[in-house]
Amino acid sequence: MREPGRIRGISFFTPRGATMRSEVRVVTLVLAGWLTAIVGLQVVIYLLEVNYSELLLSEMTFFNLPIHFWLTGQFLPLWFIILCVLFNIWMDRHAGRNLDSTLRFRVRAGGEDE
Amino acid sequence: MDVASVQLVPLAVVAGMFALLIASGLRSGGRQASEYGFSGGYAGRLGIGAAIASNWMSAASFLGLAGMFYLKGYYAMAFVIGWTGGYVLLLVLMATQIRRFGKYTAPDFVGFRYGSELARTLAALISIAITIIYSVAQFRGIALLVSWLFGISYVPAVVVGASLVVSFVVISGALGMARNQKLQYFVLITAFILPLMLLTRKLGYFWILPQFGYGAAIGELQQQFGFAWSEPFATVSPFTWLALCFTLMFGTAGLPHVLSRFYMVPGIRDARWGVVWGLFFIALIYWSAPAYGVLARLFEARAGIPFNGSDPMAADMVVLTAAGTGGLPLWVVGLLAAGGLSAAFSTVAGLMITGSASFSYDIYPRLIRPQASETDKMYAAKGFFLLLAAVVMVLTLKPWGMIAEIAALAFALAGNTIFPVFLLGIWWSRANAAGAICGMLTGVAITSAPFVLGGSLPWLAKLMPATSSAFVGAPVVILVMMAVSLATAPPDEETVRFLVRDVHDCTEE
Repeated sequence: MREPGRIRGISFFTPRGATMRSEVRVVTLVLAGWLTAIVGLQVVIYLLEVNYSELLLSEMTFFNLPIHFWLTGQFLPLWFIILCVLFNIWMDRHAGRNLDSTLRFRVRAGGEDE
Repeated sequence: MDVASVQLVPLAVVAGMFALLIASGLRSGGRQASEYGFSGGYAGRLGIGAAIASNWMSAASFLGLAGMFYLKGYYAMAFVIGWTGGYVLLLVLMATQIRRFGKYTAPDFVGFRYGSELARTLAALISIAITIIYSVAQFRGIALLVSWLFGISYVPAVVVGASLVVSFVVISGALGMARNQKLQYFVLITAFILPLMLLTRKLGYFWILPQFGYGAAIGELQQQFGFAWSEPFATVSPFTWLALCFTLMFGTAGLPHVLSRFYMVPGIRDARWGVVWGLFFIALIYWSAPAYGVLARLFEARAGIPFNGSDPMAADMVVLTAAGTGGLPLWVVGLLAAGGLSAAFSTVAGLMITGSASFSYDIYPRLIRPQASETDKMYAAKGFFLLLAAVVMVLTLKPWGMIAEIAALAFALAGNTIFPVFLLGIWWSRANAAGAICGMLTGVAITSAPFVLGGSLPWLAKLMPATSSAFVGAPVVILVMMAVSLATAPPDEETVRFLVRDVHDCTEE
């Protein structure tokens, strides 16, 4: 039980307020995309290596590179950049919406005062 | 590579590059910081990104990564992913919030968030340990380059390299020089990519984007010389690969000199977009580095030189070897040497100055001399800088691994200590000082366990290799922090209120 008058704490799993809740939601989505890409790709590459002829990985090429070199060395860093860009666009819009609502609130509050 | 003669042309190129950077630093010393990328707007964010990338690029990126590819092939991809993927963690979990804390160093943050002098001192000691390990990797790179440039053997090259670093810092300080990081990044990236374009062009590959062009060399190595690049997990297990990768990511989000970039940017949006640009600039290097390792092997194979997998020093120099054996003019090889030296010098100078400041600000007045005046602190910082240089120099004489491996140990320590303390400090208001202290101590124990117990407990060395311990270690530290925090008194009301209202922008419901 929280002591009366004591401020309620926060955590990643128990966010509070609309701002933090939506921020946690988008952070979770980005982290899910990040983790799935890293682990998922290595699992796929490992399964290809174990279950098929080793020649498969060298024969499958993209832009001259063996597919596992391209996927891990080139695509993943690019994917990280894409994730960061999406996160920033969302945060910018989100910050804009918050600012709008704050301003509306202030104008309304000002009107009531008058 | 000839180690017995002085390389006059490369030496001239090195001198030229340092003269350019020093002249630019002297010009920028008198200007306002806002002119150099800390102002808002598009250009400002690009500048912040260049500063982040220039701050990041060290001997490990410039020399060490290619060496790892040369020796270990696909395993080295874990470094590429670890050193880029960590920025996603940093951006989504920390960049904005750290900026809102408004503290200037990692110990400052820990001291403020956890309200504990002990936690702050511990964070300062750990930051200094990270500085020392990371600097050893840089000193090794400097010594190898000095050895090649002056035609001297490794041990005297370490001493000459250390003297050059100390002189560089003293002269920079005396002249009031500021680093023009935008210029430095663009000089470094040019010095890294231009020789690669020339090499791939010479080979008749797709040279406009050598990051793709080198794929033809992998095919040639496989078909004509029997190098098996098609079995990525033949020598290492997926667990080992992922352990290294995640350790480097946690470490990236916990390295004090990386985190400190976010305290200095003017706005939260700038901090966030600066990370994206920084990541792009860093990725440019990591898209290119594997090519040097692959091309070095190809040139050796074509020349009939047998692959030498047991010489880590030669592997750390493959960037220069590839350019040399590829028949590029000496000035181009010099450009690579100059880029490597410049990256290592700026990193080591920044790290050691931060380490000395941490000693004089966080440890000296608190543990050694409580009544220290500002002058005393300044002398303590200077004395500690020299001591730090001497310690790093001695450790570099007998390094235990390659440049990238030594750097990875610093990442493991940061990932096991600073990263969990920052993560829970930002995202869990119940985390308290006792939890942070126990967590950091556990992190130190986990990082040193492979060295202390690895011999007698082989399973431990497999579960937590020295360079990859944070994959298992960081979650353990987080659990320890949570258990201890829950078992002890919660943090004070003011701290929770600051975290809830100012850091996470939560209004009362």
